Amino acid sequence: MSGHAHLDNKLPHQPELATLEGRNKVLGFWLFLGGESVLFGTLFATFLALRDQIADGKPGTELFQLSTVALATFLLLTSSLTSVFATQALHRHNVKSMVNWLIVTVVLGLGFLGLEIYEFFEYVHEGHKFSTSAFSSSFYTLVGFHGAHVAFGVVWITILIAQIFKKGLTVVTAPKIYVAGIYWHFIDVVWVFIFTVVYLMGKVG
Amino acid sequence: MVSEHSASDQSAKHRHRQEGPGKHIVAFIFSIVLTLIAFAAVMSSEVNKTFTYIILIVMAVLQVIIQLAYWMHMKDRGHLMPIIFLFGGALIAFTCIVMALYWVWW
Amino acid sequence: MAHSVKRYHGLMDWLTTVDHKKIGILYLLAGGLFFLIGGIEAILIRIQLMQPKLDFVSAETFNELITMHGTTMIFLAVMPIIFALMNAIIPLQIGARDVAFPFLNALGFWTFFFGGVLLNLSWVIGGAPDAGWTSYMPLASNTYSNTHGVDFYSIGLQIAGIGTLLGGINFLVTIINMRAPGMSFMRMPMFTWAVFITSALILFAFPAITVGLVLLTFDRLFGANFFEVANGGNAVLWEHIFWIFGHPEVYILIVPAFGIISEVISTFSRKRLFGYSSMVFATILIGFLGFMVWAHHMFTAGLGPVANALFSIATMLIAVPTGIKIFNWLFTLWGGQLTFNTSSLFAIGFIPTFVMGGVTGVMLASAPADFQYHDSYFVVAHFHYVIVGGLVLGLFSGLHYWWPKMFGRLLNETLGRLTFWTFFIGFHLTFFVQHFLGLMGMPRRVFTYLPNQGFDTLNLISSIGAFLMGVGTIIFLLNITITARKPKDAANDPWGDGRTLEWTIPSPAPEHNFTQIPLVRGLDAYWKEKVAGNKEMPASEPIGPIHMPSASIIPFLMSVGLFIAGFGFMFAKDEFASSFVGMLFNNYIVAIIGLLITFGGMFCRSVFDDHGWHIEPEDLEDKGVKA
Repeated sequence: MSGHAHLDNKLPHQPELATLEGRNKVLGFWLFLGGESVLFGTLFATFLALRDQIADGKPGTELFQLSTVALATFLLLTSSLTSVFATQALHRHNVKSMVNWLIVTVVLGLGFLGLEIYEFFEYVHEGHKFSTSAFSSSFYTLVGFHGAHVAFGVVWITILIAQIFKKGLTVVTAPKIYVAGIYWHFIDVVWVFIFTVVYLMGKVG
Repeated sequence: MVSEHSASDQSAKHRHRQEGPGKHIVAFIFSIVLTLIAFAAVMSSEVNKTFTYIILIVMAVLQVIIQLAYWMHMKDRGHLMPIIFLFGGALIAFTCIVMALYWVWW
Repeated sequence: MAHSVKRYHGLMDWLTTVDHKKIGILYLLAGGLFFLIGGIEAILIRIQLMQPKLDFVSAETFNELITMHGTTMIFLAVMPIIFALMNAIIPLQIGARDVAFPFLNALGFWTFFFGGVLLNLSWVIGGAPDAGWTSYMPLASNTYSNTHGVDFYSIGLQIAGIGTLLGGINFLVTIINMRAPGMSFMRMPMFTWAVFITSALILFAFPAITVGLVLLTFDRLFGANFFEVANGGNAVLWEHIFWIFGHPEVYILIVPAFGIISEVISTFSRKRLFGYSSMVFATILIGFLGFMVWAHHMFTAGLGPVANALFSIATMLIAVPTGIKIFNWLFTLWGGQLTFNTSSLFAIGFIPTFVMGGVTGVMLASAPADFQYHDSYFVVAHFHYVIVGGLVLGLFSGLHYWWPKMFGRLLNETLGRLTFWTFFIGFHLTFFVQHFLGLMGMPRRVFTYLPNQGFDTLNLISSIGAFLMGVGTIIFLLNITITARKPKDAANDPWGDGRTLEWTIPSPAPEHNFTQIPLVRGLDAYWKEKVAGNKEMPASEPIGPIHMPSASIIPFLMSVGLFIAGFGFMFAKDEFASSFVGMLFNNYIVAIIGLLITFGGMFCRSVFDDHGWHIEPEDLEDKGVKA
């Protein structure tokens, strides 16, 4: 398990699956994402049940700025593409290219987060606060949970990049990179549903 | 179990060797196009509400299938358990949504 | 190499252990402790209800008692004891050296433990939760429940739930990836199958309650409006989310008992389990249907005839796979060479008891009839028949069966039988009469009743039964205490008829479980070798150094962090006598410190690799001599 750094050139094609620990980690993470699906499913259900309950607040049709959402969507979709490039570089054992693509992914993720925070500030400014209505509570909880996942991913991938600099690509670090990649794609998939269900359908009314 | 695994490793190795960025870029372009269609359907006032909803749902589901298959490698071999458990989760999530739509307000 | 690793002793050993066998014992100790607390609460409830118009406890305390009894028993007592058996037995049954994620296993235990401690501290700080274990809105809202009780419920269960979810993922991966060579899915022992299905249910059910508890916490602490009708919220939404989790939770509890009963009955009938593949199929079907029936808890909420009919039929469907299981157990017993001991008595007692719980279940599944039974003692009788008569009898059976494998000592048979008869008779005395109390109209969750309504005698009988169950539990504790003083002399296969891999290794299992991973050549692998005249399992590998994970204090610290953060959030808006303490809480400093400890633990775990250590072949032989 340990001390394989000198074997770098002998890494198998899919280093994330080279050890039992690695295979366990990858499978365990997939299962975790199965649980995450239910988590977001329940949050979506809550949002869908409460989205018309605006009490004294503004409805989504007046509130949502589609241009911000479109830009955020573009950033996150692109970051998903760059993270798959990082995974491909991992399979080619091209550490430099992998790290570069991971950095691009993190930067795009930060851009997405910035847009989301800006957007939330705007909404609060317009009187759409967390405790305004059932709609606002469920909106901030659903989108905020996703945002927290993005933030966690950004921190996580940053820590992994630092680890790659320190430890290099080994059978220990490879599963971590691979798993962070599927996590990032999953976040992107959740966002596809968020911009569809929350923003676009919210704009339609 | 063990031998199965190494066999699938072998074949996966074979396929991945030739794997370039090409198909991922194609998947990306598909995603962007599907997203644009969804945004366009909402922004144009021509389309009626029900039809817009249908377009939105179809676009989202198509995009998710493409991303799961290509970016999350679910079309590759050795992903039976991930598929079972991710779709299991999706099924329960879907049940929750049916609950929210039909059985909360009446 | 083997001795260069830092090894802890005494208390530190238990705080840092990542060994699944020790974690199993920790789960048993903590779960047992909470079982006693929940049991005392039950006795207090039954004393209050022993006679009409008693005021042994006040109405408020009674509400706290029923809430904490239900919550403690389900989340903090029986689930951890299930996890104790899962941890102790599953890796041994599938021929693995450990679980897939030993570190997460420890983390899961400690988060459960600190979540449970936090919940129970409510008795001494600020009042226990009093809105029922289902915590229905708006009863659980700030308006109607203005102590911190429900906050203890939501945050305590949230922390404990993290542990359960981690455990579920851990056992799924362990069972999928780490079975011994030759053990295909259809050669897995029935208990392993049951744990596999249970873990899948945990994986899909617990995220729903995670969200539900988050929404409840946000409503109570941060002014959200999910269930606040005045601002557009909806109280029925909580019922749905709770039961989308809550019904699978019932199957999370009972499915492992099915597994235990299958193992025990097959072993003590000296026969292979009748209809193994139909058992597997039935378990999967029960798991699936378990998710599709939640609204049968809400028949009277007014979902309308279509929904009620749908959920009614789906619920009745579950009787089919359950019936398959019952018949398979009976056919396994039929014509078997039966051995009657404590373990098999509990298993045989389980069958008719559980059938009774199942039959009342089908009665309740009929929506029109449910309008009569709803919120009456009939429901109380029903779910105690499935949970106590099903799960707890199953757990007792499993504990007596696997005790030698966990501790190296056989429990005393005389005391064991005494436990069975007092507990079994006590159980039926307590709950059988409650069916009739319910049908006669006694509502559940009332702290007292008026005399001369026909409730008096039956309630007295019920309370006497509860005392008898208490006596049974005390005899069991006595048995444990006496047994603990005996030498560890249990044989590898103390029952002589062991069928599965855990009986091929010493009792208790050595740290590395298997010196050589066995080769499995059929269902009931050990029995198959016995029939072929072999004394041992064939090995699938030569003897070599065995890699072991390092012990770590991080799981403990991470859980302490969550514990602190929980208090930090809960008391963030309170006023304190000391202005310094008030400053710490009101500015979320306590909450942030707690979260920093937890995330700091995660960070350390990610950055500092665990290289583990090795047990060398020569050490293995030393241990072999000692065993």
